[in-house]
Amino acid sequence: MTTPFGCMGIAQIKAGLAAKEFSAAEVAKGTFARIAAVDETVHSFLETTEQMAAEAAARVDAAIAEGTFGEMGLLAGVPVAFKDNMNLLGTRTTCSSRMLENYVSPYTATCVENCLQAGCLPIGKLNMDEFAFGSSTETSAFGPTRNPWDLERVPGGSSGGSAAAVAAGLVCATLGSDTGGSIRQPGAFCGVVGVKPTYGTVSRYGVVAFGSSLDQVGPFARSVEDAALMMNVLAGRDPLDCTSQPCSADFTAVLAEGVRGMRIGVVPEFMEAEGLTAEVREGVAAAVEQLRQLGAEIVEVDLPHARAAMSAYYVLGPCEAFSNLARFDSVRYGYCDPGHTDLGSQYEASRAVGFGAEAKRRIMLGSYLLSAGVYDKYYYPAQQVRTLITQDYKRAYEQVDCILSPVAPRTAFKFGEIGDPTEMYLSDMFTISINIAGNGGMSVPVGLGSQTNLPVGVQLISPWFKDANMLQVAAALETVYGKAPVAPAFAEGGEA
Amino acid sequence: MAEHVSETDVRGIAEYARIGLTAEEVVTMTADLNAIIDSLAPITEYDLEGVEPTFHPIGDLVNVMREDVEVPGFTQAVALENAPKQEDGSFLIPSILGEGGDR
Repeated sequence: MTTPFGCMGIAQIKAGLAAKEFSAAEVAKGTFARIAAVDETVHSFLETTEQMAAEAAARVDAAIAEGTFGEMGLLAGVPVAFKDNMNLLGTRTTCSSRMLENYVSPYTATCVENCLQAGCLPIGKLNMDEFAFGSSTETSAFGPTRNPWDLERVPGGSSGGSAAAVAAGLVCATLGSDTGGSIRQPGAFCGVVGVKPTYGTVSRYGVVAFGSSLDQVGPFARSVEDAALMMNVLAGRDPLDCTSQPCSADFTAVLAEGVRGMRIGVVPEFMEAEGLTAEVREGVAAAVEQLRQLGAEIVEVDLPHARAAMSAYYVLGPCEAFSNLARFDSVRYGYCDPGHTDLGSQYEASRAVGFGAEAKRRIMLGSYLLSAGVYDKYYYPAQQVRTLITQDYKRAYEQVDCILSPVAPRTAFKFGEIGDPTEMYLSDMFTISINIAGNGGMSVPVGLGSQTNLPVGVQLISPWFKDANMLQVAAALETVYGKAPVAPAFAEGGEA
Repeated sequence: MAEHVSETDVRGIAEYARIGLTAEEVVTMTADLNAIIDSLAPITEYDLEGVEPTFHPIGDLVNVMREDVEVPGFTQAVALENAPKQEDGSFLIPSILGEGGDR
């Protein structure tokens, strides 16, 4: 049996193309055939883009025929898929919401465009929590995505489709977005590598905004090398996003350097946190020990204000979401409830029907928190707490090159298992402070939990714009734990 | 659980946020919001005297301006492509003031 293209890595696909073992057209065709056969159970894709992929593949195959394949971009002939909050000209960009069910992108997001310019084969758009509000992908208006490791369980969220598509071996790389943990937590739940770069590393132009001071785009992959290659494609200044910064780093350059002499911080308060399950604590502690044996110096660091990050986030996130989601006015685009004779009732009915329950909760919460009198009690203090959290990280990075922590307090949970919104919010207890402070963070799989036999991830956190540090540590862990496998049921010889 | 918002407050917030809520939704939304606002208590418990707020996560950066040169944007037709209703090259909306002019 030949390896499905979605189970290969970037280098393997490119080598096969260069050696003419297969053509880019075959890669595209094979990828869609596997999605058609397998994704009915996983439901990671909302839309597939056969025509666009065929056109991109034709360009790659022409270059191979002309002998110019080597001059093409880093992703020439490599299938890549995108979270459905990213605009791709001519596709529907729904954010998994009824509000945008029929919205067709009139332009392409910069992060997607960068992948296209690098020669990728665009495969389609991936399921998510509605408007990225959630940690399970259960809030998608188009049905949940299932975790390829156990179809009874959630893939995490909000970028659940992006993580599951990689874990199921449908594609080797996807893009997600992360506002409070939405790349790292599904990465951990699905046992794949997920990178949330430092705020400002990747342009958000064309990505539907949730929390503008928190949102960042990043890749999923099954190897650190592939994630680093994706970072090379994505990072850099974009005139269309004034928060994006110039970047000339080659994120793959440090991967082979190892961790000898690196100082890696662990946060005792995180390791002793209430709600952290024993198997995740064991898995993370074992990873720390492995790094020590590889020559890293392990240093305890203190982040005294990190415990305030949850409440700061659930002030700032909803306030920014309330502001960003005001644009859905039923006039310029999005769902418009028919039959209204005045604009006010058209607004209210359209937003009532278009938004799901969690979106409404966040909008309502943001509206309340920004109201007169309440602003001074929550919003302004949250921004001050943000300063304290940021200072904590700055102080910690005077001692260490990278910080290591759990990603999520537990492994993937079952559908419907967490119904209470505030309990669901705890899924992001270890990831949120990184968005608050703007640092880079990533999840890297370190084997299966001793109790649930499901993937456990560790989070690596880098100083601002030193995302190479965490990738370097992740690559060292990969030498111990191996690359992220395709979920067993979907691997070669698996039932799918 | 403290009552931070009443059902009357929630109806007012919904009107401001332009989200129509049914009577049942007002009840559940009130309970949900009170629970969530309860969980935000830590933010009110820090001594923040003299702490500067952070409105941008990476504060050392400077704003970026581009040269003031014309670049192509959406055509009118493209900008209208996703409009639920349009007429004569414009977005079409119902009366802003309502039929009775009382809104």
